[in-house]
Parts: sequence; structure tokens; C-alpha cells
Amino acid sequence: MLPLYHFLVHLYPATYRGQYGEEMLAVLSEVLTENQKKGVRAQIVSAICEITGLLCGPPSRSTSASLRVPFAWKNPFQGESQCALISGFPKATVTLMALVLLAVFLAIAKGKDIQASIAYANPQVSPIHPTQQLALLPTLLLVLAFACLMGAFGWAMLFALRRTGSQRLSNVDVSSRPGSGTSLSI
Amino acid sequence: MDSAPITEPILLILLSLADQPRHGYAILRDTETMTEGRLRLSTGTLYGALHRLLADGWIERFHQEDGSRGKQVYRLTTLGRRNLQQEITRLKLITRLASLRVARKET
Repeated sequence: MLPLYHFLVHLYPATYRGQYGEEMLAVLSEVLTENQKKGVRAQIVSAICEITGLLCGPPSRSTSASLRVPFAWKNPFQGESQCALISGFPKATVTLMALVLLAVFLAIAKGKDIQASIAYANPQVSPIHPTQQLALLPTLLLVLAFACLMGAFGWAMLFALRRTGSQRLSNVDVSSRPGSGTSLSI
Repeated sequence: MDSAPITEPILLILLSLADQPRHGYAILRDTETMTEGRLRLSTGTLYGALHRLLADGWIERFHQEDGSRGKQVYRLTTLGRRNLQQEITRLKLITRLASLRVARKET
């Protein structure tokens, strides 16, 4: 998480990064440490929030407008999106990044579950012995032979239906004409 | 002077700095506590907001030694405090108006 965040911070303008980069990373480190105690779900939510906030966070040129609501009146407690504060990237980017990150975290969580369940169900798993590998060979050959047989059957069907083009060879008329050499006509 | 309402994250950051200067992580925790966990600012959002507040002169930053390493601490300026006070006055007016309207409807 921290290396990814470090990379994203490097996408910021150099002056901004120089001013706040280290401080942001220090704060994020504290946030990550705190979230580790709260469980996987809290970590996922926090990671999405942080990355989305970072993608939305690059400073734009206008400063004063973003401090105030740009309309005449708006309920300030109606949960304005944090990303609406400062927008530097397309919203689709933010959504896609968040989805990719979510998928990665879910895959990691699923992998851990599978790892745990396999260890529980079959605790005496040992490496496959070479003799066991050889035992699989007849089965593999049988599968290969079956595939070849099916291919040959399909070709025979096509031949019977005169769709392979082989039968056209019998129609080839090889004749030699004086002065013109050999010609082929079908 | 601009009298448009202040956005919620900005208002919360200003409120967090109203009683005492705070560093970045303390602001995050304080805003979360104030909203009872409803709003959690991300680091990127927080520093985007702090950057704007600094640029507009609403807050100022200074270095504070804190244990083994120093920390950048933020505090309200006079301008920032005045803008915050205006916003609070505006919210009070709206709240009072809303209470009166709702009370009248109920009677």
C-alpha cells in the first residue's frame, strides 16, 4: 500500500510534492498502522478512500473557489463528495483504479482463505513423486488419442460431405498442349 | 468579501484548528471524531484542502519539534478565524429559521 501511495505522490507537481510529500506519507503510515487493528474490511475501505482521495487531490490552479460552495446556498452537511473538492483526474480513472484495487484485495483475501482451507483439509500434502508423474502418462496419451480420433472423425465427415476440397483433385485435368506447355484446369 | 458557504471538509478542518494548532494526522482524527465517523478525510483530500487554505491565507504552517522528529503544524490566521466566524453566524441564522418554521408547522 505504502509503495503504491509513494508512486502516486510522485505524480504530483514537484513543488507540491516537495512541500507536502513527506508529510503525506508520514500521515498515511500512521493511518495504515491504525487500520491494521481494525481488520481486513477496514483496510480495504481505507485503501480505496486513500487512493481515491489522492487521485482527486492534485491541486488545481484556482484556490479560493474550492473553499466555498460554488452555488448560492447549499446544505453544508449534506455529505459533499471529498473528490469534488479538487479534481485533477477524470472521474472514470478514479472509479477504475478503485475497482482494480478492490479486485486485488478480494483476490488476496480469497487466496488466503483457500490456503487456509487446504492446509486444514489435507495437512499431509507432500511433493509429487516422479513415479506419480509417470502414472499420469497413460491418461495423457489416452486423452491425446481421443482428441486425434475426434479430429479424424470430423475430417471424415467433412470429406463425406465434399467440403474438404480433396475431392476436387480428381477433377484436375492435366493435359499438355503444343506450344503452351502444361496447363491445369478444374 | 465572499459570503458563499464553506464546503463541509473545509469547515471541519477550520473547526479542528479553531481551539488549538494541529498536525495533519491530528486533523484527520479530529474531523472523524467531530462527525462521529460519518466523514473520514483521506490524506490526499486533507492536504489538497490545506494547500488551498494556506494559499488563501486562512491558515499558517509552522514547524514544531515533537519527540524524535519534527512535525508541520497548522493554525488559524486572523482571516481564517473571521471567515469561520462568518460561516458559524450564517449556519446559526439558518438553524434558527429552520427551527421557527418547523415549530410553526407543528403548532
